[in-house]
Amino acid sequence: MTRYAMAIDQKRCVGCHSCSVACRTWNDLPMDIIYNPVLGGVVEGEWPNVHRNWVPTLCMHCKNPECVPCCPTGASQQDEDGVVWVDSKICMGCKVCVNACPYGMRDTSHMVRRFDGFVRKCTFCKERRAMEPGKDPYCVQTCHQHARIFGDIDDPNSEISKLIGRSDTFRLMEELGTDPQIYYIPDLGGTR
Amino acid sequence: MDMKQYQKENSKIEYSHNYWGFQIAIYLFLGGLGGGILFLTWVMSSFVFPGADLVQAFMLPNFVALLCIVLGLFFLVEELGQPPVFYRAYVTATSIIKWGAVLLTIASFGDLFWLLGNWSPESPVLGWISVFNFFGGLSGVWLAAAGIAGFGIMVYTGVMLSTLKAHSFWSTPALPILFTTSALSTACAGIMLSLCGWPGVVGLEGLAAGHEVHELLHVLDIILAFAELTILLIMVLSFLGAGNRTQQRVAQRWVKGSMAGWFWIGMICCGLLIPLVLNISGNALAGTIACVLVLCGGCLLRFMCVWSDDRQPLPDENRYYFRLKTADKRLFTLYYKEGKELERGQNWAPRENMY
Repeated sequence: MTRYAMAIDQKRCVGCHSCSVACRTWNDLPMDIIYNPVLGGVVEGEWPNVHRNWVPTLCMHCKNPECVPCCPTGASQQDEDGVVWVDSKICMGCKVCVNACPYGMRDTSHMVRRFDGFVRKCTFCKERRAMEPGKDPYCVQTCHQHARIFGDIDDPNSEISKLIGRSDTFRLMEELGTDPQIYYIPDLGGTR
Repeated sequence: MDMKQYQKENSKIEYSHNYWGFQIAIYLFLGGLGGGILFLTWVMSSFVFPGADLVQAFMLPNFVALLCIVLGLFFLVEELGQPPVFYRAYVTATSIIKWGAVLLTIASFGDLFWLLGNWSPESPVLGWISVFNFFGGLSGVWLAAAGIAGFGIMVYTGVMLSTLKAHSFWSTPALPILFTTSALSTACAGIMLSLCGWPGVVGLEGLAAGHEVHELLHVLDIILAFAELTILLIMVLSFLGAGNRTQQRVAQRWVKGSMAGWFWIGMICCGLLIPLVLNISGNALAGTIACVLVLCGGCLLRFMCVWSDDRQPLPDENRYYFRLKTADKRLFTLYYKEGKELERGQNWAPRENMY
């Protein structure tokens, strides 16, 4: 069965934020909402062996998402391919899912228009992939460093499966038991 | 601006994770208060004083409970992103919010039917409502439904927050216990303030029974205030000493940080210790003041808890949002939210970029 995931190679990320810009442009996001902030950028190490460690983030599309079962309206859903998304036609904007997400990757569009506030989040560009099958999410396509790798983690021949298989990876807040599907290949260590 | 001044100005800024507003705090307080009154009314009427005529004595407390629940629901709906479609809250069985909505509905309708069924024709207030007296035959059923649902609401207000394990300060079994104790304590205070206050005929037997109820609730409130004080101190101080980093940060804010005044003076002294002393003194006026203070303390507890929704930050998350400068926040707020025109250099100045 298809299960989408993303690998983020921190060695390759240069912190250009173009993934954030591409996401915001494609999704036509208001100014106060960012689906995929690029965190980090702290300088580490000693000269001449210094580097900046960037942590590009987005919704972790967890296998056991905290945000789905808590939704009282059923607007917060998870597809069979693992993509977690919000049906804006059903959402009533109670923000329980926003509070439930340990990663803070959900946002409300309250600042735009009152009485039309619903929760928004990254969907791995679900609409785009439906319109243009085989295409990657915009943040993946835009990344000129190829730091974001998207694909079916259950397919052993996919690039992401092979990459994760031969790399030392970590996931954010794995201890919470949400089984996040964003794999980080750290700046130090990483691909074998 | 030089770098030192800039760093000094911004050193206390921390990215806020607040998503719920004051409405949720008021809703949790009013829901707990209303639910507690209904639960205690049911217990007193059905189990503690089963033979006594307490209907007229409990009319006003139950009316207050109904008002609390309705007002709380109003604030809850007002806080929604799309208030007109609030009815969608009843859909998903796995959601704690759904069960809260169901309990609130049962409690409010049970209480409403009980009130309508027992509305005295001699009552100077809306005596015509006695036409609904056909509800009176099922009075015990309505009160039991409202009382059981009321107990559920008291527990639910704490459980709702404690299920959100992204927020370490909420995600603890102590919080539902604290909220339930506080709800019972505020309910005792609410009943004592409104007992026998309904503008109708209360017989001598009813007055005597009401007095006994008042005495019992008085003792119960002392015990509950002591229990709440103990639970609150154990919870906060154990977070301070042995909690994770997020819990410690919140506990530090409560004990010796920006919320210390509210915690020590507002909640511990005015909300718990002074009412405890006043209640023990036994004076009637002191008892009334104690009840008001207990209600204020319960409300303050909900506000402080809702505003303590810190989440464990992602790597350098605070730094990232910190670098969305206060000036940029001002830009977002004034220009995009309030639609005001901004002039560069006057009411808005661009500052450092994200790099």
